[in-house]
Amino acid sequence: MSSDQSRRAFLKRSAALGLAGSAAPFVTNLAAIGEAAASVATDYKALVCVFLYGGSDFANTLVPYDQATYNLYQTLRPNIALARDALTPTVLSPTTALPGAVQYALAPTLAPLLPIFNAGKMAAVLNIGTLIQPTTKAQYQAASVPLPPKLFSHNDQQAFFQSAASAEGADSGWGGRMGDLLQSGNGNATLTCINASGNAVFMTGKTAIQYSVGPNGPLAPYSNSSSLFTSATANSVLRSMVSAPRSHLLENEHTRVTKRSLDAYEQLNGALLNAPTISTYFDLHNALAVQLNVVARLISVSQQLGAKRQVFFVSQGGYDLHDVLAIRQPLLLGVLADALKSFYNTTVELGISDKVTTFTGSDFGRSIVNNDDGSDHGWGSTHFIMGGAVKGKELYGKSPVYANNGPDDVGQGRLLPTTSVDQYAATLANWFGVTDSQMSTVLPSIGNFTTRNLGFV
Amino acid sequence: MDSEVLHDIALEGVSPQKLDLEFSPVSNTKSSALPPLPIAIVPALALAACGGGGTGAAVTASAPPPPPAPPPPPPPPAPPTSTQSGRFLAQATMGTTDADIQAVVALGYDGWLSAQFAKPRASTFWDWLTANGYTAPVNIFREDGYDAMVWSSLITGEDQLRQRVSVALMSMLVIGIDSIPNNWKQFGMAAYMDIIWDNAFGNYRTILDKISNNAVMAFYLTFINNRKANASGAMPDENYAREIMQLFSIGLYQLNLDGTQKLSNGKPIETYTLNDVGGLARVLTGWKDDKSKLVGANVNGYDNLRDPMIQNAADHELGVKTFLGTTIPAGTEGVASLKIALDTIFAHPNVAPFVSKQLIQHLVTSNPTPAYVQRVATIFENNGSGVRGDLRAVVRAILLDTEARNDATAASSTSFGKLREPLLRFTGWARAFGATSPSQTWMIGDTSTTYNKLGQSVGRSPSVFNFFRPGYTPPNSGIATQNMVAPEFQITNEVSVIGYINFMILSMRDGWGDFKANFTEFLAKAADSQALLDLINLRVAANQVSAATIAQIKTAVDSIASATPTDLQNRVNTATTLIMVSPEYLVLK
Repeated sequence: MSSDQSRRAFLKRSAALGLAGSAAPFVTNLAAIGEAAASVATDYKALVCVFLYGGSDFANTLVPYDQATYNLYQTLRPNIALARDALTPTVLSPTTALPGAVQYALAPTLAPLLPIFNAGKMAAVLNIGTLIQPTTKAQYQAASVPLPPKLFSHNDQQAFFQSAASAEGADSGWGGRMGDLLQSGNGNATLTCINASGNAVFMTGKTAIQYSVGPNGPLAPYSNSSSLFTSATANSVLRSMVSAPRSHLLENEHTRVTKRSLDAYEQLNGALLNAPTISTYFDLHNALAVQLNVVARLISVSQQLGAKRQVFFVSQGGYDLHDVLAIRQPLLLGVLADALKSFYNTTVELGISDKVTTFTGSDFGRSIVNNDDGSDHGWGSTHFIMGGAVKGKELYGKSPVYANNGPDDVGQGRLLPTTSVDQYAATLANWFGVTDSQMSTVLPSIGNFTTRNLGFV
Repeated sequence: MDSEVLHDIALEGVSPQKLDLEFSPVSNTKSSALPPLPIAIVPALALAACGGGGTGAAVTASAPPPPPAPPPPPPPPAPPTSTQSGRFLAQATMGTTDADIQAVVALGYDGWLSAQFAKPRASTFWDWLTANGYTAPVNIFREDGYDAMVWSSLITGEDQLRQRVSVALMSMLVIGIDSIPNNWKQFGMAAYMDIIWDNAFGNYRTILDKISNNAVMAFYLTFINNRKANASGAMPDENYAREIMQLFSIGLYQLNLDGTQKLSNGKPIETYTLNDVGGLARVLTGWKDDKSKLVGANVNGYDNLRDPMIQNAADHELGVKTFLGTTIPAGTEGVASLKIALDTIFAHPNVAPFVSKQLIQHLVTSNPTPAYVQRVATIFENNGSGVRGDLRAVVRAILLDTEARNDATAASSTSFGKLREPLLRFTGWARAFGATSPSQTWMIGDTSTTYNKLGQSVGRSPSVFNFFRPGYTPPNSGIATQNMVAPEFQITNEVSVIGYINFMILSMRDGWGDFKANFTEFLAKAADSQALLDLINLRVAANQVSAATIAQIKTAVDSIASATPTDLQNRVNTATTLIMVSPEYLVLK
């Protein structure tokens, strides 16, 4: 009969009103009332992937600012270029200046992230994308080296970015394969790879499974009541029937997922009842913030769940801006920045910012050359890393030449990546605890790259 | 009217809320969606069950004189049983009424198909919106009426085969209401969906033509007002050029007629390159929306939304356009160029297996044998009268194929069939229980959120890649081990499986506004649990829930008294819920 939600709300209200003592008789199993401290192991680490679905337009995300590069940028995309003076407040001054006096500014609506960058807790990697091995333009044109299959195709490049192995149909991702290696250190292996955004191949390992949570955490049938339509028998029949093994392959997979859901609910929900109150503001009309809020809450009780290493996945859609880019992308980036800022500040509030590293991913970058009022599918892009462990206030990788069919692009400013997703992933994996000898298990192509740690974390 | 209506109004209409994209705004207080059970029962409204196509669409029964030369046709097959009819209808409709089952028993499969092919639409979506008052100016920047028009059509349309095939086509030829022009979204969706519903039994080439001339699709995939390359280096938008090939017609890799990939040195062969995309993008230039009716009092109206686009010659690329091995000579204007392009695409040998296999997956089974795909694709290539792309013949071939109709093999297989889409489970329940909305408000609404709804809603896919992809395999599963696919599992996870249970319970317990089920027929049997379960099993699950499972469910139903109307309602709801969450029901064999 109890509603967990209202119970939790009651507890929060009680705590806020100083009534924890009087509430105690109702909640004798809940030890943590009034304690703001997170329950996180000292050697805990979390990786949080923020995937930007649709293909991120890097050129209007991290925008050339020095006059020479800006002029090239503006010439290539006159219809959608941001005005240079609008970029002045968000110009980045990395500790290590880029060669050739190249300067970048954050898109104006990413301004909430500027203090995090300047505090050295955020960095960006330039011209990063899917590769199988280092590839020159001549090699690309001659098709003389293996290339990721179906470049420029959304679903395939989403899968390749997330799997670092294959196009759509990939059977595991590098988040999941890190889970394979590290889930044995967790009390409940199911809670190693947690997706707050549906399903993504990134989160599946060879053995690790992805576990999905909703905007408020785990979900139970009919508010976890012990009866269904007044019948306790009906409730137990339902729970057993929906989770029992089946001989039919599809039926069995459905009951496997359902069993996982029912089994994990009790433990997870019980832990969340003890979660510290987060005072950092999350805009709950911001769909990405909602996902990151539940991630923060799950991390805050990770020790109760026995978790030492967790991978999380959240996402934001809408980046496929062939059209109306100059209007829509700033709004998307504003949503992104607000959500990331709330999440980072929460990790600071909980005292765990150095244990949580957040990074972005996307299908691909977009063409520098504009079409009418948008940009088309590209390849290399810019990605961000954020967290207390990040060696921030730096721009990693190589700044591309802004040109149409110049040395760094394969036409229309579709960048040929100079840093691979594998190198990016290996750097994160290394921080997360994957050893050098294990790295090729997580990233099958990493052996093709000499630099296996980009040094950003 | 100033220029570029679709474009400009859409621009001003973009709002931050709008760009919260795939996820509806949620708050922490909203998500414990379900008040605790047990529950108060509202007495069921006595609603007339909606008709189900039982009116005798006569099939010619008079025996023609036997022809002299050819052998006589085989004797007509025995009429299908109720169970067989239920299974057939689960593949061919959005849900099964008693009248539907009787119609299939009476007419046979082929006769029922013929009757369905002949059945006109009760109303276009456009006319439904008009008749229900959604032309009121207040709706200009709203979606009001959209979901209602869809639910009304799916649940009460007597042209159930058309509804089902059209929903399948909408999952392949995707458009999403979130990314169409912000003015008169409901009419924009109606304009596009009427093309699909009107042509579900027409020719696939006609559909390709009409959607490629549709301003709403042109906005959705961004080729409206697409301009030829200019001196500044701006290139034509490639979006539609890419997706019409990848998703709507030929796919990424060359296919054999049986749907398997052609291989060269053991590797799949790509159907097109970046250059083909660029070449086709040059064809798709110069198209703009017709605004001729948007004058005077109609200036902010929707009148033109269903009119084909028109060519603006100044924006069309007149240079040579090359793609897929076809070269359109310099100087060819836009209308002629598009026709050549669509003819080229439609003639590609991939189209028949690409479209046929996906329709089989949507209607019958996720993993059809190559032979089944080839039989259907052969009909796609030639319906027997030399016509390519005849969807009526294709649908008939899919549903009458031995692989679809072999009840015994399907029942004994451990892999045949498909996970019923959440949408089909809900509409199946609604039709079985005669649910309707007397006010025509159909307040079911958008069901695309996962944690509290179905995780699926017609016309609300988050991207042109649909809610689930035809090649999706759940990782780390027995399905993966067998190298099989299970597309609907792409929207199946620990949240969705529970969200579905809760949504169904709320739907039967409370309904949505005045959308409510009619339980009369079921309440009459509720005191006899076996009779009740037999009725629901046939109506909802085509009798695919086994006797052993029914016996298990019976213990639950029998645990509830049958003394009061509330008891009886609880027995009906319990029986329905447990059948609808049973794995044997969830996977349609």
